[in-house]
Parts: sequence; C-alpha cells; structure tokens
Amino acid sequence: MRRMLTVLVVVALLAAFGASAVLAKDWVKFLDSDKMLVDTSMYAKTPPWKIGFSNASISNSWRVFFARHVEYEASKHPEIAEFYVTDAQDNPTKQLADVEDLLAKGIDLLIISPATEAALNPAVEKAMEKGVPVVVVDRKVTTDAYVTFVESSNYQMGKIMAEWLVEKLGGKGNIVMLSGIAGAGPAEDRLKGAMDVFKNYPDIKILEQQYCDWSPVVGKQVMATLIQKYPQIDGVWADSALQGSGAIEALQEAGRPIPPITGEDMNRYLKMWKQLGFEGVAVSFPTWQGQVAVQKAIDILNGIPVPRYVDCPRVIITKENLDQFVRMDLPDEFFMDSRLPEEWLPKR
Amino acid sequence: MLLVAAGVVSPIFYRPQNIFNVLQQASVLGIVSVGQTLVILSGGIDLSVASIVSTSCVFAAALMAGRNTMVVPVALFCLAVGALAGFLNGLIVTRRNAPPFIVTLGTALIFQGIRFVYTKGAPFGSIPSWLRFLGRGGVSFVPVAVIIFLALALAAEYILRRSAYGRKIYAVGDNRIAALYSGIDVARITLSVYVLSGTLAAFGGLVLAGYLGFGDNWAGRGYELDSIAAVVVGGTSLAGGEGNVGGTVVGVLLITILFNIVLLAGLPYQFQQIVKGLVIAAAVIFYSFVRTSGEGR
Repeated sequence: MRRMLTVLVVVALLAAFGASAVLAKDWVKFLDSDKMLVDTSMYAKTPPWKIGFSNASISNSWRVFFARHVEYEASKHPEIAEFYVTDAQDNPTKQLADVEDLLAKGIDLLIISPATEAALNPAVEKAMEKGVPVVVVDRKVTTDAYVTFVESSNYQMGKIMAEWLVEKLGGKGNIVMLSGIAGAGPAEDRLKGAMDVFKNYPDIKILEQQYCDWSPVVGKQVMATLIQKYPQIDGVWADSALQGSGAIEALQEAGRPIPPITGEDMNRYLKMWKQLGFEGVAVSFPTWQGQVAVQKAIDILNGIPVPRYVDCPRVIITKENLDQFVRMDLPDEFFMDSRLPEEWLPKR
Repeated sequence: MLLVAAGVVSPIFYRPQNIFNVLQQASVLGIVSVGQTLVILSGGIDLSVASIVSTSCVFAAALMAGRNTMVVPVALFCLAVGALAGFLNGLIVTRRNAPPFIVTLGTALIFQGIRFVYTKGAPFGSIPSWLRFLGRGGVSFVPVAVIIFLALALAAEYILRRSAYGRKIYAVGDNRIAALYSGIDVARITLSVYVLSGTLAAFGGLVLAGYLGFGDNWAGRGYELDSIAAVVVGGTSLAGGEGNVGGTVVGVLLITILFNIVLLAGLPYQFQQIVKGLVIAAAVIFYSFVRTSGEGR
C-alpha cells in the first residue's frame, strides 16, 4: 500500500518532468519509463559500503544545515563503512578534483551537490562510466549521467509564495519583488514561478523587482529607498528571508505598517513574524533534501528501484502552525523545517 | 552636480527621511573607506576589509548575545581583532615585501575561515539595543553612524595634514626609496596604516551589526571593492602619495547617492551596474587628465 502510494506520488510529480527527460545515452535503465522508476539492480552490492559526498560548500547556513542532514542520515546506517565528505568551497574546479579523489578511494556511490550546473558534468559522467552510481542533490547537472536527482523545486516555491500573496491581497494591490542574486539558478527559478502567477492577475501591480544579493544589508537598503519612492506598498514578495528580514526592518524603522510579506523557514523571519505579528507565510526550502539523498543512495546500493526525480515537499508555515516551527531560543540563521534531532543542530 | 541631478531625477531625494537613509547607508562604507584611504595613500591596498567587517559583525552578535553590559568589552575585543588582522597584513607586506594585493586577498580568506570555524557556518547571538542605536539611531535627519564617520574622517584628515606621521604616510606612498633615505621608518609606517585599516574595518563591522540587528556571515560583502572605488573616485591616486580623506568622503557620498538615485529612478538592475561603473571610470579618467596637465608645473 505504502509503495503504491509512493509510486502514485512519483507519477504525479513527474507529469511535468516526463517529456524533457528523454535520455541521449543509456546511462540508466528505466524499469517503467512511464513512472520514471530507475532499475538499480546492477548497482546492488553487499555491505559494507563506501559512499562519497561531494558538497559544493558550506558557505551559508542553509548549506550547513543541508550538510548536517546528509551526515546525520549517513550516521544512522551501519552498512556504510566509510562516508567521505569533501567541501569544494563553491569552486567547480576544486569539486572536479574532489570527485577524482573520491573515485580514487574506491567509493561505491557518489552523492554530489554541484557548485554549478554544467561544470560538474564530466565528473558525474566519469563516475557513471566507472559503474559508480550518482545521486545528484539540491542543484542540477545538465547531463543525464546520474541515477536520481533529489531537490525541492525552486519554481514551486516562488509560485506558492506568489499565490499566497495574491490571495492575501484579494487579487489587487501594489507589490514589490525582492529577489536573490541576478542569474543564480534558485533566484531565477523562484522569480519565474512567481511571475507565472502574477501575470494572471492584472490588478496586481508590480511596482518594482529588485535583486538584493540574498543580503540582509542590501535588502534593508533597497527597501528603505523604495519606501520613499512608493507611498503605498500593499505586499512584498521576497524569495528569501535573507533580504526579506532586512526589508521588514526598513519598513518598521520608517514607521510603515508591515504589509503581507513572504519568506522561507529561516528562524530570523519566523522570530520577527512572531514578535511583530504581520501577515506572513514561510515556504520552506527543505534542508532535509540532503537526508533524502542518502536514503535514495541506500536504496540504490540495495538494488531497490528509485525515482529518476524526487521533489521534496516543502512545508508551508502560516500563522496557524507558526508556533510549531519558530524557536525564539535558537539562532537567527537556523532553518526550522529541519529533521535533525536536537543534538545534531550546529553548536558553537 | 550630482545633487542637482538627483533632485531632477526624483524630488523624493530631498525628503529628510531619504537623506537620513543615504547618510546612514554611507556611514559603514565611509568608516571602512577612511582606513582604505590611509593604506592607498601609503602605496598599498587592503582587500581584507570586507572579511574583517563580517568577522567583527559575527563576533559582536555572538559575544554580546543581546546584553547591553557586554557592548563595551566586546566592542573593544572586536577592535583588537581588527587591529591584529591589520597587523598580520602589515607584517607580511613589510617583512616579506610581498604585493599587498595578494597578501590581503589571502588574509581575507583566512579571516573568513576563522569566522566559519567559530560559527560552524550558522552565526548565533543577537545585537543589544545600545549597539543597535549606534547603527540605526539618529537625531532628526542625522544618523548617529554618520556623525561617527565624519568625526573619524576629520580626525584622519587632521593627522594627515598636520602631523609628522601624516606627512610620512604621503612620503612613503610617493617614493619608498626616497622616504627610506630621508630617515623614515618605512616598514613601521606601512605596518601602522594596515593596523588602522583593520581597526576601522572592525569598527565598521560593529556599526553594521547595529544597522542589521544580527550576525550575518556575509554582512561585509562588497565593502572591499566599494571602499577602493570610493577612495579612487575621491581623487586619491592608486599609486599612493596623492589624495586626501576629504575626497574619500565625497567619493563615499557619491557612490551611496548613486545607489539611491538609480533605485529612485527605477532603473533595472543591469543599468544600475552600468551607471555605477561609468561614474567610477569617469572619475578615474578625469583625475588622470588633471594629473597629466599638472605635471608641467
């Protein structure tokens, strides 16, 4: 029953994805191409296993939480004899070398969170050619040379945020959009998801869309200026609370009422929301996709079929369930849609 | 000229609240740029300031942890860390005679690494109300932070113009060998400007922590290049020995006002960058003309 349900969910998730995933080369064998389930029987191996995790970086707190989930899940499986972790420090060239090192160590499976999309193609292709199955997580590669891709769709995240804002405003009002870094995949995908919603509502007037580099400093500075420019701002779509929290501060200091504003599961935003009581919504970008990646890796090494694509469902935090997620005692940059037990939370 | 243009582009520019915002946004950049001016005048460059700003901001949040009683001791500690960072820069530059561009690029990574080891990537703590006042408080349309910035700029300008130490900085930047022969301890002067730059960057980090309200690992991002741009736009020669802090103050205000008016004018992001780039390039071309025509004297 449970497996049936899983399959059904996968089918639903893959409806949109299906057509684009026609494989150029037979990297993977599909058990059932309609359901996009990958046959992993050729990767089945008796434990103990050696698994390599090539991480793009831990240069921000989201990535720290993400990496923690990977390591936490790995620690729960005694079948994993060795779990190697490398940190590419956001440098694709270093990551190529990292993967070489991991392959030289004779890993049985590679989990990779690529620093950039296309640059890591040769690394994953080389692994697959050597018969080392690859689990791609968080960010894409542009080749087909992997077994499964685990993420949480940024497009959906931006879309849900926009839908919430439209609903709050009754389909009418002046809004400001604050994005992350211009040209960065997640920022552009979230923006696209939102624009696909807003274009259906002619009475939603986008006063301005600005990039704030996912920086609370820039978010505050940009908002402080926009407040001067627009006497009436009815809503703010922010793709992350990094700039969103800065924007809230700017509104507060200008003595403006804080309009409905979107964010994600960052504790800073949840704390402000709890304290200031504005209309908010947090669409999580699950840090536990790292945990799912390890679970899929285990399935692959056990020869259990895995879906070609996994979209980790985001949690939507509203004022009804805010108290379940906000933690006033924890640091601002914690991500609260976490599946880490207390002792695994980053500590000073 | 820019001030008039600003008013034409958008009358909103002259609103007291907007002036307040601009001055507040200029303050941290200003404090960092004062230090950068001293380094550039002495013929060096400091790319590690952004990293020191972030480190100071993160330390302030973690160690103050919301307690007003801890503001003064932790602030002093952060300044000491900044001074130590600058000392390290100065030491490598002078002892190894290494190019400051590469040295400070390297130390920036070291300070960043230390910050990440300390916070494990997720900064903690919070900023107490006293420090918040420093970063966002104000008297009518004059922010506290800008008063600090201008006071530091005045002090630096006074030292540069009136003291023997100031003249030595110019001498070292103008011609190291000549300075050496005229009996100036070039290494000590060089070391001292990096210490001052590190300390001021740490101070900027404290003000920024007050502005921001929490410790962010990347709070200082961009201040290294913005401060260099402000110094150059302010007429200080990257070759050293020529320029002053007064020019830097103008450069800082110019860059901040520019950021403000491109937003007020509603220019898309790409054009904002083009406009900012053009102004910096124009300033450099302008000064190069001024300098070539002045050489005949």
